[in-house]
Amino acid sequence: MITAAPPREQTRARYPDAEGFVERDGVHVFWELYGEGEPTILFLPPWSIIHSRCWKMQIPYLARHFRVITFDPRGNGRSDRPEEPEAYAEAEYAGDALDVLDATETERAVIVGFSMGAQRGLLLAANHPERVEAAVFIGPGLPLGTATPRARAVISFDEEFETYEGWRKYNRRHWLEDYADFLEFFFSQVYTEPHSTKQIEDAVGWALESTPEMLIATQRAPGIKDEAQARELAVRTRCPVLVIHGEDDAIRSHTTGAALAELTGGTLVTLEGSGHAPHGRDPVKVNLLIREFVESLR
Amino acid sequence: MAVELTAPQREQTRALYPDESGYIERDSVRIYYEVYGSGEPTVLLLPTWSLMHSRHWRMQIPYLARHFRVVTFDGRGNGPSDRPTEAAAYGEREFAADAVAVLDATETERAVIVGFSLGGQRGLLLAAEHPERIQGAAFIGPNFPGGGSPLPERTVYDFDTEYDTAEGWAKHNRHHWVHYYRDWVEFFISRMFTEPHSTKPVEDAVGWALETNAEVMIATMEAPDLTPEEAQALCRRVHCPVLVIHGDQDALNSITRGAALAEQTGGDLVVLEGSGNAPHIRDPVKVNLLIREFLESLR
Repeated sequence: MITAAPPREQTRARYPDAEGFVERDGVHVFWELYGEGEPTILFLPPWSIIHSRCWKMQIPYLARHFRVITFDPRGNGRSDRPEEPEAYAEAEYAGDALDVLDATETERAVIVGFSMGAQRGLLLAANHPERVEAAVFIGPGLPLGTATPRARAVISFDEEFETYEGWRKYNRRHWLEDYADFLEFFFSQVYTEPHSTKQIEDAVGWALESTPEMLIATQRAPGIKDEAQARELAVRTRCPVLVIHGEDDAIRSHTTGAALAELTGGTLVTLEGSGHAPHGRDPVKVNLLIREFVESLR
Repeated sequence: MAVELTAPQREQTRALYPDESGYIERDSVRIYYEVYGSGEPTVLLLPTWSLMHSRHWRMQIPYLARHFRVVTFDGRGNGPSDRPTEAAAYGEREFAADAVAVLDATETERAVIVGFSLGGQRGLLLAAEHPERIQGAAFIGPNFPGGGSPLPERTVYDFDTEYDTAEGWAKHNRHHWVHYYRDWVEFFISRMFTEPHSTKPVEDAVGWALETNAEVMIATMEAPDLTPEEAQALCRRVHCPVLVIHGDQDALNSITRGAALAEQTGGDLVVLEGSGNAPHIRDPVKVNLLIREFLESLR
């Protein structure tokens, strides 16, 4: 049983220098800006199950060297929670990213996408090369490589079962009945490394800031639809690419990251013993990789 | 609570390896020491209760050795040091004498000592009786019998009586240790780290405790502690600077113990809010900065 952190936000190692909202089609999206170095790093939101605090171990370090922008995904954090699935289309998140770049007067940025964030990241890198200087993908979630138990569970998302054990918990009915139970299971699969109780507690807490109804809407939203589309976007990406993938990732197969690196001509860094979210569980390692990559662009 | 050891049985890799290591021998008991770095002054990290060995300083060594010279040694009864089985070998004065022998072997004229928990007693002996060797003394969560009061839950059961129950502190008992050493270890270590998200320190400490055994630990219990009067008399003889760091949630040694030690030695007391018995393991950055500041104030 995981006890979530108290509902008030935890104290931060570093607070933003500026913050604000962008608005598109009546949806407000909250952004934060830290530091003033060059270039700018834009941390994309992942799946709206969590929000921009998932970057809390990156922000204070990288903002000492670069200008750092984060924003909360529609559906969580301080951003609005639209009800209709169309509002959670990948193209909408990519649109939010461009609006945040405009609002912060950022001509170009290095983007970092984690998990589902790779989908919006790939759309940005392929379709807006003038705004994206380079791209980092951590545990990317794309229809490439081999499927994981998660991908198989998605197929029975709407089915009714007697019981919901293991990946069966990835189910609309179960989310509505016992959202916390799903969250605890899901994040235990995100953080498979020993001694991850803090990371799991944080992530469950962020997820409980939104609702199962929101998450169901994201599940029905159009993303990168198949391998053909993912490949097409990847081969069209021209900027430098770094892919960081844990070899024990239980959410998104390591073969996904390897395929993305190959198709984009990028570099693949495999983290031994790491799960899906090494930036949360091994932040020093990932921060140094990001810093080295960003400095190599100068 | 069952603690699953996920770490390999061999020693874990270290952030920093010693520049020098060796053994001293007293009354045919061999004691293993390590030296790191070359700064000034030297800080001698004392062994604590033989339940753990010198790796419990692993979060201090790499940081402090960048600024100072660091000496550690394994308390008799654990680590690469010998494990005598007679109680007399574990008297507080034996540990203090080991410390002096290690200072001699490493050609250390004077050092700042840091003692954790039971290590506070040997530290107090050193500071009072070897003032020419001790430049300053820091105590973390000290087990100090000279003042303050014990935690109420630790006064319910004694060590020698055979009880019908083995719940909670009833495990702190020789009859339980003989048969269920690990059960007691897991309980005791869970009381050492009361902070949330302590699974790694718990796993490490249980692993260190399993490098020794019930026979050795019973011998350490039979060795005489300092009496309250002895401890108070020692405090009056301490003239070096003293720093006491004590977690206000310490579930092994009441914070009133640390407060009394600071008061009786004229030292400074730093209370760590929300910390348990071993903040140097659980909140190493905080404690490392306090130790560094203390060491620099002595220059």
